[in-house]
Amino acid sequence: MASRRQFIQQGVGAFAGFLAIDSIFGRAARAASAITIPGSAATRTLVVVNLQGGNDGLNTLVPFGDPDYYRVRPTINVPVGDVLRIDSSIGFNPNLAGLKSIFDQQRVAILQGVHYPNPNLSHFRSTEIWQTAAPEHIIDTGWAGRYLDDAGLPKSNLFKGLAIGPILPKMLVANTTDVPTVDGFRTGGFRGSRNEQSHADQILNGGSETYPFQSPYLSLVQEIEHDANASSTELPHLVAGYKPAIDYPKTPFAQGLNLAAAVIGSGIGTKVIYISLGSFDTHTGQRGTQDRLLQQFGDGIKAFYADLAAHNLDSQVLTMTFSEFGRRVEENANRGTDHGTAAPMFLIGGQVKGGIYGDHPSLTDLDFGNLKWHTDFRSVYATVLENWLGVTSAPVLGASFSTLNFV
Amino acid sequence: MSAQTQAPAEYRPAGQLDITTALLEYRGPWNSRLAAHLLRRAGFGGSPQEIAAATTTGMQATVSKLMHFGSDSQPETPQGDISYDNGPLADKMQRRNAIIITQLWWLNRCLLTTNPLQERMVYFWSNHFTSGIGQKGIMPAMMVSQYSLFRRYALGNFTQLTQEVSRDPAMLRYLDGVVNRAQHPNENFARELMELFTLGVGNYTEEDVRQSARAFTGTTLDRATGTTVFNPRLHDAGVKTFLGRTGNFGGDDIVSIIMTQPATARFLARKFLRAFVYDDPEPELVEAVAAKFRGSAYDVGSVVGTLLRSNIFYSPRAYRALVKSPLEIAIGAMKTLGATAVGARTLGALPQMGQVPMQPPNVAGWPGGRLWLNTGAYNARLNYLHQLVSFKPASESAMAMAMTAPNQSLPPGMDPQIFLAPAGHISPPTTWVAGAAMNDPISVTERVIDAVVQSDATAQQTQDILNYMSTDGIGNRVALSGENFEEKVRGGFSLAMALPTYQLA
Repeated sequence: MASRRQFIQQGVGAFAGFLAIDSIFGRAARAASAITIPGSAATRTLVVVNLQGGNDGLNTLVPFGDPDYYRVRPTINVPVGDVLRIDSSIGFNPNLAGLKSIFDQQRVAILQGVHYPNPNLSHFRSTEIWQTAAPEHIIDTGWAGRYLDDAGLPKSNLFKGLAIGPILPKMLVANTTDVPTVDGFRTGGFRGSRNEQSHADQILNGGSETYPFQSPYLSLVQEIEHDANASSTELPHLVAGYKPAIDYPKTPFAQGLNLAAAVIGSGIGTKVIYISLGSFDTHTGQRGTQDRLLQQFGDGIKAFYADLAAHNLDSQVLTMTFSEFGRRVEENANRGTDHGTAAPMFLIGGQVKGGIYGDHPSLTDLDFGNLKWHTDFRSVYATVLENWLGVTSAPVLGASFSTLNFV
Repeated sequence: MSAQTQAPAEYRPAGQLDITTALLEYRGPWNSRLAAHLLRRAGFGGSPQEIAAATTTGMQATVSKLMHFGSDSQPETPQGDISYDNGPLADKMQRRNAIIITQLWWLNRCLLTTNPLQERMVYFWSNHFTSGIGQKGIMPAMMVSQYSLFRRYALGNFTQLTQEVSRDPAMLRYLDGVVNRAQHPNENFARELMELFTLGVGNYTEEDVRQSARAFTGTTLDRATGTTVFNPRLHDAGVKTFLGRTGNFGGDDIVSIIMTQPATARFLARKFLRAFVYDDPEPELVEAVAAKFRGSAYDVGSVVGTLLRSNIFYSPRAYRALVKSPLEIAIGAMKTLGATAVGARTLGALPQMGQVPMQPPNVAGWPGGRLWLNTGAYNARLNYLHQLVSFKPASESAMAMAMTAPNQSLPPGMDPQIFLAPAGHISPPTTWVAGAAMNDPISVTERVIDAVVQSDATAQQTQDILNYMSTDGIGNRVALSGENFEEKVRGGFSLAMALPTYQLA
């Protein structure tokens, strides 16, 4: 607590008169660039894409070479002729042409059969498990939040992490780091009339006044209030210098990636960005819904990396997908699929060792109708933490997990 | 699964606990700040009229009135259709509407109930014996009936409440009681019963979990009616050994045995203290409250009554020592502004602040405290409050659009004004500062700060709001007049609700 309180006083004292004239983040960014070493973990960003709702792995990465696939998916299969082939047995859903184009440059690692012990088929619990990296326990913080707490990043940077969307995902809930959420280039800051706004800025940035009461939470509230106001006030300045090199698709997902590129391009030193796409909960009429979302995903990612490449940033951005679960192997009576277990993850970026990792789970050796997983997602997280973000993973994940070699 | 969630230890108030006087009846001075404090903790905040009345009648009479529930002005069940087909062919819009109607019904109860402590206890129990509307096949009607149970036992006997909860339909779905059969026991409910509802971690063994799960087998749901039935063929009637006792136990026996353990009263005492007094209460305070709880044979009313009358409750250490939940922010602000109904825009704003009504994030409930506070949620709080104080009825065209939208976004039977606004009609801003001298910015500012934070503002903050009252957007002095009065009062409330103080209960 002492250090937090200290930070508020120093922070407010240092920034109060500065806010109106210049971007505090411009200064923070300059400070950050002075200490970074090109190509090291210090300049890298992880973008996490939540394919929310439970994305069906079998129609994402299609095992078209396995006759059992067409047996268990009589009406919602991807026909052989439509598959974007990777090899003689497996290929992409045709709506993932954008992703395939990056895969063809060996910059996509496909991890097959990923999940966790004792799979939970509830959306909300399984999402929480992926976001906290704690299948056995309910814990208050997210895995990326714990990473940010421990990463030793400068306190002055309010954008160490960033959630794109209206709500802070559990993944980024931290003990001591406040991660801002932004809902687009126009941010979620206090919106009042001009006169209210100027007085609100006074109040929201107020510092060390004496209150007529004590409260164990008062300094925390003041700190969050300051950060909330500062981060939303400063985001437009932060991204003002960034011009996208290509036209992003008009979907909210691609526009969110555009914002992510702008924040990365600002050099502020954002380590983790969260964005979600969904809902992939395709109990009925799966092909239409999933195909549309996969296209948004593939085209958005393609635009994102084309833009990053044009800014020479593609090698410092790793994108990782996850979904709370895959879906039941056999389709249901409504041309959909019910909740399942194992599914593939995609790791995308200029430094990724592209290819397919791990075997496709058997379509006949099942666990109550669901695919058997063979790779624990915490091994994937451990790899990202160790090999990409350059930290020891065990304190973040609560245990040691073997790492993979996709990056 | 198990839960490991603890209040962070660093938010215990500064200063020393005097355990010898902590739970004795408070006989110190009484004023509007303490009256507002009581109404924030024992309800969802007081309206200006309620705070004034409580200030006049005094602590004893106010607590007695809070604790004796009369017949409530608010309906026990939602008005409107809250059913939907829960199968694979579910109509998503019908499901959404049913959940919206149910959530609004409950938020309206929180706002308008004539028994605020009773509804506050419903909120407390719903965050203790958790279930989530629309999750795991829990139909809105099941949540309504679970909330009725919580209302009946609001200040009742904890043993009986726990036994009732073990056969509550929403709970049977939420923690898999419906699939807990002799042939395939499911331990989900048995584990959480001990870990999160009664004993706490470390006070039972894995074998106790397995044995007690067997005792609860056979209590399941009738598929057609959604009501609880006991199916003897699915019940394990064999002998169980649980917490050192052996017998042919059923679920109620398990609960009774749990209540013989000192850990249970301690676990609940800590929860009551965290909900009503302050976070991370000292072990000796927990022990004193636990002793009272055990001594009363688990009578919740006697413990809550003791706390609400106690020295510790009215001490500076407990004052503003808790973080308001989004629900307390929304309902409290509506009470301050004289809202007559909760609008659906509030339902849209609450998740952005981090809380979906009737749907805790997991079986451990909303953790509260510092976890309510992050930058995004904070901005959502301020923007919601700003939207509320800027309340204007929806325009004709917006209403027309809501009613004719191709996806029928307006739930059937809902007033479009309710659907399109954060609140139903709210009192005009002039009434928010009733008693202030209308042309005097100092007087108006004082009223604003008194109404919103009971004068718990710093001198600088008061000056900032006064500056706002007496200047225009570019710094020129302006007088308060009929022309700008409403706008200035709204803005003043918005600024006062943006004060750190306002986030604290």
